[in-house]
Amino acid sequence: MDYQKPIPLKNQDNHPYWDAADRRELLIQKCESCQHYSHPPGPACAKCGSTELSWENLGSEVKGTVYSFIVSYRPFLPGFQDDPPLVIATVELEKAPQVKLIANVLDCNPEEVNIGMNVKMTWQDIKEGRALPQWIPA
Amino acid sequence: MAQIKDRYAIVGVGESERSKNSGTTPLHLALDAARAAIQDAGLEAKDIDGFMSYSENDSCTSHQLATYLGVRPKYVKDIMGGGSSTEMLIADAIGLIETGQVNTVLIYRSMNGRSGVRMGGGGWDVNMLQSAIDGGSFIIPYGAGGPAQWFGLFATRHMHETGLTQEHLGHVCVSFYEHAQRNPKAYFYGKPLTMEQYKETPYLSYPFNKHDFCLESDEANAIIVTSAERAKDCQSRPVYIMGIAARQCVSHSHYWSDLTEVAADYVADDVYKKAGVKPEDLDVASIYDCYSWVVLRQLEAYGIAPRGEVGDFVAAGNLRLGGKLPSNTAGGMLSEGYTHGMNNVLEIVRQIRHEYKGTDRQVENCEIGLCTGWAGPDIAGAMILRN
Repeated sequence: MDYQKPIPLKNQDNHPYWDAADRRELLIQKCESCQHYSHPPGPACAKCGSTELSWENLGSEVKGTVYSFIVSYRPFLPGFQDDPPLVIATVELEKAPQVKLIANVLDCNPEEVNIGMNVKMTWQDIKEGRALPQWIPA
Repeated sequence: MAQIKDRYAIVGVGESERSKNSGTTPLHLALDAARAAIQDAGLEAKDIDGFMSYSENDSCTSHQLATYLGVRPKYVKDIMGGGSSTEMLIADAIGLIETGQVNTVLIYRSMNGRSGVRMGGGGWDVNMLQSAIDGGSFIIPYGAGGPAQWFGLFATRHMHETGLTQEHLGHVCVSFYEHAQRNPKAYFYGKPLTMEQYKETPYLSYPFNKHDFCLESDEANAIIVTSAERAKDCQSRPVYIMGIAARQCVSHSHYWSDLTEVAADYVADDVYKKAGVKPEDLDVASIYDCYSWVVLRQLEAYGIAPRGEVGDFVAAGNLRLGGKLPSNTAGGMLSEGYTHGMNNVLEIVRQIRHEYKGTDRQVENCEIGLCTGWAGPDIAGAMILRN
């Protein structure tokens, strides 16, 4: 059956992130002026306003720890009717702790998710040529 | 900079009927609320020369409202916005009165929040959401489609760091539901909540169950702001604005990269400084309560209880009547009704006027109050009012 959930929309500010995701890589925007990572990516650095932005490739072996999470027991958006209970987590990246990246934690019992839990990134095939970064227990 | 302390006042408050299915338009509701506020102030519609509203594209315009009150105002303004818009528009009104643009301003929020456009979701186009909200494509594909999820991520982390428990969330709900039992106009009047019932309620979006969510209601609220000088001509007892922090922001909305700070942290210092009061001077509060946790986080931000001690503060019953800071005494948005915060403003004005004197609803020695607005972790405003 076709993937029913929303597919990330690419735009001029975020497409390097999503293009990389489709290649199963993680690219994070970084400010060349203040050296802060800028996530979610935008038209300028949210710390200092600089437009001197670059992209750092964190590759395909991405680890992190759960920084916070919620468990949704009701679908709040169309397409998610079969997902609850659905874990939505903010994960601190091991190689760039400043970055907190939101995704679902898949392949685990929601009641076993906790802050500090080790996770690693996986890429879920959602349609031809498109992949969605997700977390699974490490 | 002009000192505005005590030089402006809220002189009228009013509301429409509250329901889950008004069967009428936001314009009708706004007219009912506006007429009630004008009557409360002892003014005539023609005395109002500025009209302002906030909405999420779910209301009528200020121009429409003025038209059907039979008034030709000098100023109308409609902004997009939810929580903390009331505080911001009051600050705007003061600026306009101070510069002689207008004399008296009516501010309203009108919505069919249950039967019309629902904040809590339902029918939103997911691609519209991805484009319309900041960082939308980084949350919508993951099912994070509403404030319960966005704020929930803050809540889980904050509770972990500060030792807050589900029972502490429950104390906020139980306290406010208890207030609603004294307010026949509250949606949950006659429907008290015990801690036992609260704890037995299944999660809707962990760490929140349905009691931690605000209501959805069809209603309109209105307030009237004017100078202290003109307030003397009104029939109501003026409630003076000691200080107001219009609206402060931190980076991003919807996808927050930093869960350690909220805009309210910055508003607090500003509003206390302007009003010249300290947290311990407060007798009553209206704390924006779209979710129970939002109240706990603001108690910390506004210095009402120190970080790490907020749970004990609410568990000791301090938000209840007779507690250290009776808050949301009409039931708040958790149990009275929901107009993006304005119903909480109406209530604190009535408390500071001592309008409930002689009943079990009146907060004793109620002279100074704090009213906070929270659009999200990213945007907040507040004001301090006095008798």
